[in-house]
Amino acid sequence: MESSQFSESFKSSLKNLEPYLFAEEGSPVHGDVIEFHGAEGTGKTEMLYHLMARCIIPKSGGGLEVEVMFIDTDYHFDMLRLVTILENRLVQRTEEMIKQCLGRLFLVNCNSSTQLLLTLYSLENMFCTHPSLCLLILDSLSAFYWIDRSNGGESLNLQEMNLKKCANFLEKLVREHHLVLFATTQTLMQKSTNSAESFFPSKLQPEADTDYRPYLCKSWQQMVTHRIFFSKQCSSGNSKGFTVISCHLKRNHVVKRSFSVAECGVQF
Amino acid sequence: MVVLRAGLCPGLTEEMIQLLRANGIRTVVDFVSSDLEDVAQKCSLSYKALVAVRRVLLAQFSAFPTNGADLYEELKSSTAILPTGSPSLDQLLDSGLYTGEMMELMGAPGSGKTQVCLGIAASVSLGLKQHLLFLDSTGGFTASRLYQMLRAQAEAEEEQLEALQRIQVVRVFNIYEMLKALQELRDRLSQQVVSSTGPLKMVVIDSVSAVIYPLLGGKQSEGLAIMMQLARELKTLAREFSLAVVVSVTAPCPSCAGACHGIQVELDVGYGDAQEPGPVTPPQGL
Repeated sequence: MESSQFSESFKSSLKNLEPYLFAEEGSPVHGDVIEFHGAEGTGKTEMLYHLMARCIIPKSGGGLEVEVMFIDTDYHFDMLRLVTILENRLVQRTEEMIKQCLGRLFLVNCNSSTQLLLTLYSLENMFCTHPSLCLLILDSLSAFYWIDRSNGGESLNLQEMNLKKCANFLEKLVREHHLVLFATTQTLMQKSTNSAESFFPSKLQPEADTDYRPYLCKSWQQMVTHRIFFSKQCSSGNSKGFTVISCHLKRNHVVKRSFSVAECGVQF
Repeated sequence: MVVLRAGLCPGLTEEMIQLLRANGIRTVVDFVSSDLEDVAQKCSLSYKALVAVRRVLLAQFSAFPTNGADLYEELKSSTAILPTGSPSLDQLLDSGLYTGEMMELMGAPGSGKTQVCLGIAASVSLGLKQHLLFLDSTGGFTASRLYQMLRAQAEAEEEQLEALQRIQVVRVFNIYEMLKALQELRDRLSQQVVSSTGPLKMVVIDSVSAVIYPLLGGKQSEGLAIMMQLARELKTLAREFSLAVVVSVTAPCPSCAGACHGIQVELDVGYGDAQEPGPVTPPQGL
C-alpha cells in the first residue's frame, strides 16, 4: 500500500493531455479507463497519435514528457505517421530530438487474444520498473472478436474467456500502477432495429446517431469510466469533419466536440 | 491455446503436469493466470519452482515491447518505396508502394483492377528488378498481357524474359489454397531460402473478394473469422518481412460514388501499360 502511494506521488498529472476530449475539467486522472468507439476511418487512431505526441514531447517543447506503452493488435500503428506529427509539432526538429521523443514510447504487437493476455501479464514487470510509464494504449480491443467467437464454439463463456481475463488484468494494472488506459473498439455490429434502448441521454438524441451496442464482455463494460464516440461527417461543407461525443459514465456528463485531421495531426 | 506438456519449458516435468491437470490446469493460459500460492498448496508443489516456470512460460509466449526509437531506426533502414510505374498513382501514394504496408484496389468488375495489378508487377520486376509473388484467384492473370506490357517498356528480349522469371504466379481458387500459399511463403521467408529466386519485395493478390465472398452471409461468423485471419496474415507478412502487399477487391461501391472524398487520378489502360493521359485531377471533396 505504502509503495503504491509513494509511486503515485511521482506520477505526472495527465490533466493537460487533451482537455477537449473530456466532459469534465481535470480529466483524465490516474485509474481512468477510456474507450474510443467508432467505425473505421472515424479518427480513433489519429486521436491516439495526437495523445502519444502530447505525452512523449519534452516539457520544454510543451509536452508532458511521460512514457507510453502502445499495444497494437491490428498491426495498425504507423511509425512514419507519428514521426510526421512530431516533426510538425516540435520546435527543434532535429533527428536527435525525434529519437529522444520516440525513446519514451514502447510498442508491442499481439497476434491473438491468448498472446495479448500473456503479454499483459509479462508487462507488469515493466510498469514496476518504469515509474514514468503513465499511459497504456490498446488499439484495438475488438481485434480478435470474430476469431475468438469462432474458436469458442457454442459456449459464450469460452468465446469471451480470454478477453474477460484481459479486462480483469487490465483493471488490476491500471489500479495498481496508477495508469490511464485508452482502448479502441470498432463498431462491428450493424445498427440494431430496436432503437428504444439508446445509450444516450435524450437531450443528445437527435445529434447522436451513433447506435451503440456493447458487444464486448461485461468485465470490460464495467471498468470503462469514459466512453468517447467517434464519427465522421460526410457533408463536405464543414472543415472540421470529425466529431467526438464524450461521456463521463459515472457522472453522466456528455459533451460534443469537433476536430479536423491535418498533416500535423488532430486539431480541435 | 497451448497445452502444457513435458519439455515445453525447462523445469516443467511430467509429474508436475499430472498434478496440475488433476487441479484443472491444462493450458499455458490456465497456468499463468492461476494464483500460484494456491496451486502450490493444492498440488503440493514448490512455490519457487512454479514461479520459475511461470516466468519462463511468459517469456516464451508473450510479445516483447520494442522501444520506439529503436523501431524507428530499424524502419528507416528496412523501408523501401516501390514505384508502381504510373507517375500519377505514385503521386497518390506519396511516391509509391511502401514495404510493410498493404494497399487495396477496389472497384467494379471491369474497372481496371487486374490491369493495375499487372502493371505494378511489370514495373516492379522490370524496372526495379525485384521478385514478387502473384496470387491469382480469378484466373484473370494472363501471361500474354503481362508480356505485352513488358515489351512496351523494354527492348531487349533477354530483359523481358528475366522480368517474367522474377514473377512467381500461384493460382489459388479458394480461401484455403490462398492461406496455404501464404503459409508456404512465410516458411520460405523465415527459413531465408533465397535459392534461385532473390529476396521477395511484393505480394499481389487478385482478387481477395473472389475467395472471401463465398464465405460470407447467413448468421454464421466463421466466414468473418476466416476473413480476419487472412487480413491478419497479410498484415503480419507485410510487417515482419518488409513486403509491399497489393490486394484487389471487387465491389460496386455505390456509396463511394459521392461519399469518398479521396484524391482522384485517371488511369488509361492502353497497349503498353496503365498510362495516365492528363494532369492529376485536383483533390476532390475535402
